[in-house]
Amino acid sequence: MLSIPIEYYLILSAFMFIVGVTGVLIRRNAIVVFMCIELMLNAANLSLVAFSSYHGNPVGQIFVFFVMTVAAAEATVGLAIIIAIFRNKLTVNVDEINIFKW
Amino acid sequence: MIGFPILSLITFLPVIGMIIILFLKKEQINNIKYLTLIITAFQVILSVVLLANYNYSAAGVYEEGSFQFIEKFRWIEITGISWLGTVKVDYFLGVDGLSMPMVLLTAIISFIATISSWNINYSAKGYFALFLLLDTGMMGVFVALDFFLFYIFWELMLLPMYFLIGIWGGPRKEYAAIKFFIYTLFGSIFILLVMIGLYFSATETLADGSKVFTFNLLQLMNPSNYNYDGILSPFNPNNLRLIAYIALFAGFAIKIPMFPFHTWLPDAHVEAPTPISVILAGVLLKMGTYGILRISYPIFPDITRDLMWWIAMFGMVNIIYGALVALAQKDFKKLIAYSSVSHMGYVLLGMASLTSVGINGAIFQMFNHGTITAMLFLIVGVIYDRSHTRGLNDFGGLASQMPVYTGFVTVAFFAAIGLPSMSGFISEALVFVGAFGVESIRVLTMLSTLGILLGAGYMLWTLQRIFFGPLNEKWASLTDLEFREYAMFIPLSIIIIFLGIYPSAMLDLMNTSVNTLVQFVNTGFNVSSLSGL
Amino acid sequence: MELANLYQSINLIIPEIVLSIALIVLVIADLIFHTNKKIIPFIAGTGILVTAIFVINQFNYIGFAFSTATHTARSFGMLAVDSFGVFFKLIVIVSSFIIVLLSLASDEIQKTTDRIGEYYALIYGMILGMFFMITATDLILIYLSLELLSLSSYVLAGFTKLRDRNSEASLKYLLYGAVSSGLMLFGISLVYGLTGSTNLYIINTLIQNPHINLFTLSFATILIFAGIGYKISSAPFHFWTPDVYEGAPITITAFLSVASKAAGFALLIRFVKTVFVSYETNEGFWSLIEVFDWQSILVVISILTMTLGNFSALWQNNLKRMLAYSSIAHAGYMLLGLVVLSNQGLIAILIYFMIYLLMNLGAFLVVMLIANKINSEEIDDYNGLGFTSPLLSVSLAIFLISLTGLPPTAGFIGKLYLFIALVDAKMIAVAIIALLNSVVSLYYYVRVLKHMYLVKATASTPSIIPSTSNAILLLVLVVPVLIFGVYFQPLVEFAKDCIVILGI
Repeated sequence: MLSIPIEYYLILSAFMFIVGVTGVLIRRNAIVVFMCIELMLNAANLSLVAFSSYHGNPVGQIFVFFVMTVAAAEATVGLAIIIAIFRNKLTVNVDEINIFKW
Repeated sequence: MIGFPILSLITFLPVIGMIIILFLKKEQINNIKYLTLIITAFQVILSVVLLANYNYSAAGVYEEGSFQFIEKFRWIEITGISWLGTVKVDYFLGVDGLSMPMVLLTAIISFIATISSWNINYSAKGYFALFLLLDTGMMGVFVALDFFLFYIFWELMLLPMYFLIGIWGGPRKEYAAIKFFIYTLFGSIFILLVMIGLYFSATETLADGSKVFTFNLLQLMNPSNYNYDGILSPFNPNNLRLIAYIALFAGFAIKIPMFPFHTWLPDAHVEAPTPISVILAGVLLKMGTYGILRISYPIFPDITRDLMWWIAMFGMVNIIYGALVALAQKDFKKLIAYSSVSHMGYVLLGMASLTSVGINGAIFQMFNHGTITAMLFLIVGVIYDRSHTRGLNDFGGLASQMPVYTGFVTVAFFAAIGLPSMSGFISEALVFVGAFGVESIRVLTMLSTLGILLGAGYMLWTLQRIFFGPLNEKWASLTDLEFREYAMFIPLSIIIIFLGIYPSAMLDLMNTSVNTLVQFVNTGFNVSSLSGL
Repeated sequence: MELANLYQSINLIIPEIVLSIALIVLVIADLIFHTNKKIIPFIAGTGILVTAIFVINQFNYIGFAFSTATHTARSFGMLAVDSFGVFFKLIVIVSSFIIVLLSLASDEIQKTTDRIGEYYALIYGMILGMFFMITATDLILIYLSLELLSLSSYVLAGFTKLRDRNSEASLKYLLYGAVSSGLMLFGISLVYGLTGSTNLYIINTLIQNPHINLFTLSFATILIFAGIGYKISSAPFHFWTPDVYEGAPITITAFLSVASKAAGFALLIRFVKTVFVSYETNEGFWSLIEVFDWQSILVVISILTMTLGNFSALWQNNLKRMLAYSSIAHAGYMLLGLVVLSNQGLIAILIYFMIYLLMNLGAFLVVMLIANKINSEEIDDYNGLGFTSPLLSVSLAIFLISLTGLPPTAGFIGKLYLFIALVDAKMIAVAIIALLNSVVSLYYYVRVLKHMYLVKATASTPSIIPSTSNAILLLVLVVPVLIFGVYFQPLVEFAKDCIVILGI
C-alpha cells in the first residue's frame, strides 16, 4: 500500500500552526482570534496523530482525544466570556477593550 | 566579670522600651518621653558599668579570648544535609578597644538626643518608638561580632531613620529620606555580597572537629581557616579579594560619607529634625569607619596594605573638599554637615596611616567628632527653634543677646577647629603625627593640614557673622538657654574639655586593641609566608 | 495494568480524590441550600482542611502512580508523589485556605452571594488542577492539569462581572492563556515526535541519544516553556499579569499570585530536573544533559523578568497593579534559584515560597481591607492612612519591607538564601544584578509608605479598623514574617526535607 510520508503531515501541521499564530497576532476580532487559537490546537493534533502512526504507539492518538475535549471546554469558557464582554462593551474588538493598556 | 548579659541588655533595652511605648496611649506624651529618657539614661549607666569593669590590657581584635563581656550561643543550626554540611549562625556579642569608645558614644548621644527631642509632639508615640528602634540598631552594630548579626543591625537602622527624617523632617523631607534610604541600601548590598562571599571562603573548626562555613568575624580573620579554593581566599591568585575589598569599602564609605558618595548627607542633615541630625552625625557616620576598622582591616589586611595610599587620598579629598564646600554655605546646618564630611576625612587619613598613633587618633577623632558635631547640631537647633531661620547672614550680634549660648558655641567651635585644650586638638594632632610618619602618604598629609586652616576659616567666619557685630533688631527678643538646653550642652562640653586636658582616659581604653590591630594589619595574611600552610 | 498497581496508585492520589469529592459535595450543597448560602464557605474551608490532612499524610508515601507499561522502556508513572510535590501542595492548600478566609472578608465577593457556590467550586477546580500539575510526570497530564487550572481561573478572573474591568481581565487572561497553551501543545507534539513518548523519565533517557535533532528539541522546549512561563508570569510571557491582577477580584488576584505561581514553579522545576538533568553531583549540583543549554536561557529570562517587573512597577499608581509587577519581579528572583541548578538553589526557592506566601497574601489582604472601606486601590487614596489606621498601615509596611528584602523580616532570609545559592554556584554577576534590582524595588515599595506616613492625615482621611477576625488573620500573617526574619531555622529545616524529586 502506498503510504503518504510523514513529512507531508508535518508540513501541513506547521502551516496550520503558522496560520494560527499569525492570525492571533494580526486579527483584532476576539472571536477570530479564538478561531486561530483553535487552529493552533488542531495543528498540534495533526502532528500528534502523525507521530503516533510513525512511532507505532497509541499515546499520541489518546492525547488527541484529550486535546479535543480541552479545546471544546476552552471554547465554551471563551465564548461565555466574550458574550459577557459584549454585554458590557457592545464590541468584541480587542483594540476597543482597553481600560488597561494592552 | 558581670553576672548578667550586659551587652544584650544595653542593646535590646530600647526595643523593650519600644514595645512598652506601643502599648501606651497616643495621648500620654509625657509618659512616653520620660520612659525614653529613663531607658537612654539606663543605657548610659550600663555603659559606665561596662567602663568600670573594662580590662584595659585585653586586646580583642582577632582573639576571641581577649574580647570582653562575651555572649555567644548558637542562634541557627541546621544539620544533616550531606552536600552542604552544617549551617550555623552565632549570636555573638563582645567589646574590645575598638568598639568600647563607640558604645560609650552611642549611649551618650542617644541620651542627649532624647533630651533634644523633648519638644517633638507630632505623633510622639511613633517618634519615640522609632527612635528607640534606631538606638538598638546602632548599639547592635558596635557590639556584634558575627557578620550576619552585624548586617542585621546595620540594616535595622535604615527604616527608622527613613521615617524619622521623612515624617518629622523639614520641607524637602521626602526627597532627603528616600535619598538616604536608597544610598545606604545601595551600599549595604555590597556588604551583603561580600558577606556571602566570605562565608563560602572560610570554615570554622567546631569543638567536635567538624569544619563548617562561618559568619564569625574573628574566624574570618584567621588565614588558616580559608579554603584553598574559596572565592575570597587569600591563596586564590585571582583579583576577587581586591574587588571584594573595594565593594565592602564602598558599602562602608557611603555611610561615612566619603567623597564621592557624600551627597546624601547634606540633604539628610538639613531636612532631619535636630535630634536626628545629632544621631546621624554623632553615631551613624561612625559606623562606616568602625566597619572598616572592624571588618575590612583585619579580614583583608593584605589588600589594606596595598590600598592605604588610596584611603589616605580619599581622606585628603574629604578634608579639603568638605572644608571648601562648607566655606561656601549660607545655611548654618549645611555648613555643619559639610564640616562633618571634612572631619570624617581626618578619620580616614588616620586609619590609612596603619600606625598605632594614627589609628588611635582616628578612633579618638570618631569619638570626638561624635560629641563635637552633636553639640554643633544642637546649637543650630537652639537658634532655629527660636528664630525659625538658619541663614548665616540673617543674624548678627547675638553674643550680647544670648551670652551663655555664645559661650557654649565658642567651646564647640574651638573644639571643631582643633584648639589645644579641646578634645578635637588631640585627635587631629595624633592623626597628623601618625600619617606624617608614613613616607608614602606624607605629601597627602601635608596637603590635608590645609583643612585645619580652612576649618578655622569657616568656623571663625560663622562665629563672627552670627554672634558679633551689631545686633540685628529683628532678634532683640531672643531668649537665652533654658534648663533643658543646659542639660544637653553641659555634659557635652565637659566631655570635650575633659578629653582635651586628659585624653588618656579615652586613649588608654583603645590603645592595647589598636596596637594589636596595627600589628595584625601590617603582618597578617602575608601570602608568601602563608603558602606553607 | 494489574489491580495491585491500580490500588497503590489510587492510594497515592488520595488528596486529589478527597478534593474531587469535596467539589461534588460543594456543588450539591449549593443546590440544596440555595436559599441560604452562608454554609457554603464553611464547606469549602472544611474540604480544604481535610485535604490538607491527607496531603500531610503523604509525607510517608513515595512512588509513581499509574504506570503506563509500554514496550519501549521501563514503566514510569503518570505522576510522582514525593516530598517536593507535597511541599508545593501544602503551599497551594495553605494559600487556598487563606483565600477562603479572604473571600469571607471581601465585600466584592460577598456581594455575589447567590453565585458563591460556583465561586468555591471553581476555586476547587483550580486547586485540583494545581495538585496534578505539581505531581505530573507525563506530558499529557501536564497539559490537562494546566488547562484545568487555566479554565477555572479564566472564569474566576471575571467572576464578579460588576465592573467592566472584570470581564476585560477575564478576556485578556483567556486569550493570552489559550495562545500560550497552544504553543505549549505544539511543543509537546514535537517532543513526542522526537522521542515517541510522553513520559518525562523516558524522554530523559531518549534525549541522551546523540542522534537527536537538537534544533527541533530546542524549539520544542522553548514552546513548552511558553506554557509554563505564562503560569509563573515570567518575561516575555508576563504581559497579561498586570491587567489581570488589576481587573480580577482581589481574592483571585492574591490566589493567582501565590498558588498558581507555586504550581507553575513546581511544574517548571520538575520538568527541568527530570527531563534535562542526567545526574546530581556530590555537592548537590545538577548536571545538565548536553542537548539544550537551559542554564543560560534561564539566566536571561530571570534577569529580564525581575528587571522588567521592577522597572514597570516604579510608575504604577494602582496598588494591585504595582503588586502585580512586583510579583513578576519576584518570579524573576525565584527563577534564580533554578538558574543555579543545584539543591542549594532548590532549597532557596522553597524557602522563598513559604515567605512569599505570607508576605504577598498579607499585602493583598491589607489592600483588600482598605479597598473594602474606601473602594479604591489608588496610591493617592492611601495618603495619611498611617495615622488614622495604624494596624493596617503597620502591617502593610512590614509586608512591603519584607517584599523588599530588608532585615529583620522574613523576606531578607528568602533573598539571602537565593544569593547564597548564586554565590555558591559562582554566579556573582547575576547576584549583583539581582541585588541592584532589589534596590530599585525599594523605591516603589517605600513609595507606598511615603503616601501612608509622610503625608499628613486630613479630616477626610478615613479611619479603617478591621473586624476582630480580620485583625487576627492579619496578625497570623504578620507575626511569622517578623519571627522568621530573626529565627529562620524551622523554614530551612522544612525546606531541606522537601527537596526530594523522584528521578531515575
